[in-house]
Amino acid sequence: MTGYLYEKDLRQMKYNILTSTKHDEAVRAIARRLGMSNAKLRMVMIRRFDMSLLENLESRWQMGQQHADDDSDPVAKDLGCELFTRFVPLVDPRVMQTICNETRAMTGNESSRDEAIARGKARIREAILS
Amino acid sequence: MKKTVDVSIPLGPVHPCWKEPVRIKCETAGERVLRTEVELGYMKKGIERIMRGRPWQEVMFLAERVCGICSVIHNMVFIEAMEEISEIAVPPRAAYLRVIVNELDRMASHILANFSYCYTIEHETLAMYLLNTRETVLDNLERLTGSRINTAYMIPGGVRFDLLPEDAAAMLADLSKVEDEMRRYTGMFETGPLIALRSKGIGVMDREEAIRAHTVGPTARASGVVCDLRLRHPTYRELGFTQVTRTEGDNFARIMVRFQEVFQSIDLIRKCIETLPDGPIRGGGLCRAGETSYAGEAPRGELTYSIKTDEYGRVVDIAIRTPSIMNIEACAHSMIRDVTSIADVTSTFISSDPCIACNER
Amino acid sequence: MSILQEIKNAVRSRSIHVAYVDVGSCNGCDIEVLACLAPRYDIEQYGIYVHNNPREADVLLVIGSVTPQWVDKLRDIWEKIPEPKAAVAIGNCPISGCVYARRGTLTTPPVENYIPIAAQVPGCPPRPTEILSAILSVAPLIYKDYEEKHR
Ligand code: SF4
Repeated sequence: MTGYLYEKDLRQMKYNILTSTKHDEAVRAIARRLGMSNAKLRMVMIRRFDMSLLENLESRWQMGQQHADDDSDPVAKDLGCELFTRFVPLVDPRVMQTICNETRAMTGNESSRDEAIARGKARIREAILS
Repeated sequence: MKKTVDVSIPLGPVHPCWKEPVRIKCETAGERVLRTEVELGYMKKGIERIMRGRPWQEVMFLAERVCGICSVIHNMVFIEAMEEISEIAVPPRAAYLRVIVNELDRMASHILANFSYCYTIEHETLAMYLLNTRETVLDNLERLTGSRINTAYMIPGGVRFDLLPEDAAAMLADLSKVEDEMRRYTGMFETGPLIALRSKGIGVMDREEAIRAHTVGPTARASGVVCDLRLRHPTYRELGFTQVTRTEGDNFARIMVRFQEVFQSIDLIRKCIETLPDGPIRGGGLCRAGETSYAGEAPRGELTYSIKTDEYGRVVDIAIRTPSIMNIEACAHSMIRDVTSIADVTSTFISSDPCIACNER
Repeated sequence: MSILQEIKNAVRSRSIHVAYVDVGSCNGCDIEVLACLAPRYDIEQYGIYVHNNPREADVLLVIGSVTPQWVDKLRDIWEKIPEPKAAVAIGNCPISGCVYARRGTLTTPPVENYIPIAAQVPGCPPRPTEILSAILSVAPLIYKDYEEKHR
C-alpha cells in the first residue's frame, strides 16, 4: 500500500498561505522574473511544494537574490540557475544544468546573446509547467 | 509532491514527542530517510487576517497570542515597531526593564526547548530537572509582570510595572540558584555518553545550507552563522552583549548553544539590575500613521513585524515573519534528510525547537 | 454495589491516563499542561499519567479553537478513546474561541460542536494547579460506578 491514512485536500490551505501579504509579493516577483502569469505560478507551487516550503518562500526568495549566482557566470545569473534550483526549487537541477549549458553554447555562436537568453528562459518556463 | 519510493512513514499529527500537531511524511529506503514533506494547517488561525483593521490596543494582545512560549518578544517587537512609527521615546529605566523581562522569557523558552529534546531522547531525569528549573524562572516573570505566560507587560512609551528593590533582591537570589542548577545540568548533558551517542553528528546542517534557507537563532548559530539581532539593539549594546556560536551544526551543538545562552541571559539580567537607572517607567505618546518593518531577536531567532498604520493608530496591514518558518523548513528539508534512522527524525526535529503556532500564525 | 465495581472504582481513582490534543491554540495553554508534569506540581502523585496516546487515554484535554484540519479529525480522535472517557476543555479557546473568534478568522469554535465536553477550565491560560484540580474533580464523576450506571 502506498497511500497515506487521513489524507486531506490541502489546496485551499496552501492557497491561504500564498495569499498573505508578503508571500503574495514574493510570488508576484518570481512570476515577473520568470515572465509567467501569477495564477499559473501559484498553481505550480501548490502542486509541487509542501506547506513549510511555501511558508518559507519569501525568505528563500530574499536570500536567493542576495546570495545566488555570483557574477562569475553572467549567463547563469540571467537565467537564475542556482536561484531556481536550490533557493526556490522549481526546476530539477539536472534539467537546469542542460538548459544552462546549451544557452551558454548558443551565446558563443553567431546568434545574439539576448535571443539565446530569451530562448533559455522559455525553456525554463516549459520545465516548470511540465 | 511527487513520490519517489514506496515506503512512506507519516509521523503525527498527534505524536507522543510533539507538543504541537504537525505531520511529517518521510519517504525512506530501509531506515534511511530520503525526503520529507511537512503537512501543516493544524494551527492555522489566520491571526494576520484578524489583526487587519483593528486598533493597536487590540493588536497588542493579539500579537502576544501568536505564540505563548515567546509571548514577551512578540509584544516587544510589536510595541517597538509602533514606537518607531510614531517616534515615541522610551525612558531608560523602562528600556532596562524590558530587557529583564525579555531575557527571563528567553531563559524559560530555551529551558523548555532543552526539556523537549531530553524528553525525546528519553532522558527523563534531566528533562524533569530542567522543567523544574523553568518553574523558578516563570516565578520571577510572574513576580515582575503579574502573569506567567501572556504578560502584556510593555506598552508604547514604557512598561506597566516597576521593579521594587525587594523584588530585585529576590530575583537575584533566584537567579543564582538557577545558575547553579543549570551549571550542573549542562555538565550532565555535555558529559553523558549516551546523550552524545544520540546527539553528536546527527542531523548535521552545514553553514551553506543554513544560509540558503535563511535559518536564524540558535539553529543558525550552531552552524556558525553570525546572526543575532541583539547585537544591534541599543539597550543590549549598552550592556555589552556578545553572541554564542558553535560550528558543529548537529543536534548536540544546537542544544549546547541554548544552554550557553541561558547563562548569558542570567548575566544580562544581573547587569541590568545592577545598573538600573532611576526615573519614570512610563512616558507618553500618540500612535500615528506610518509604515515600518522592525525586527527583534526572539528565543528562536529573528522576528519581523511589517506594519502599516493609519492616523488613528489602527493597523491597516501587517505581516509577521516568525523564526520558526525558516527553522522548520531547514530542519525538515536539510537536517532530517539523510538521517540514518527513523528514531532520529523526532529528536532532530525537536532539536531545532519548532514552534508550530509561530510557523502558521 | 458489587464488589467488582468497588474494586474498579478504587483502582480507577488512582489511575487516570491523560492525552492532550492541540486543535489550534497559541501554545500558552499547551505549555501550562506541560508544566503540570514538573516535579513542583507532581501530577503523578495523584495517579495521573500524561502521555500523548489517545488509544489508552481516559481523559482528553482539548486545547485551542478548531482549525480547518481538525474539523473532521477531532471526531476521529475522540472515537479512538476507549470507554469510559471524558473531554476537558483547557483555556478560553475551546470554550469560546478567545481572541481568535473575530472577523477574518479561519477557526470554527467552540469545540462542543464536535465532541462532548465534560468540564471547562477558563483562563488565558489557566494555571497548572487549576488544570490539575479540574482533571481530579472530573474523573470520579465519570468513572464512579460506570458499569452499574451503563448496564
Ligand atoms: S486560551 Fe489563551 S493562552 Fe490558551 S491557547 Fe487560547 S489564546 Fe492561548
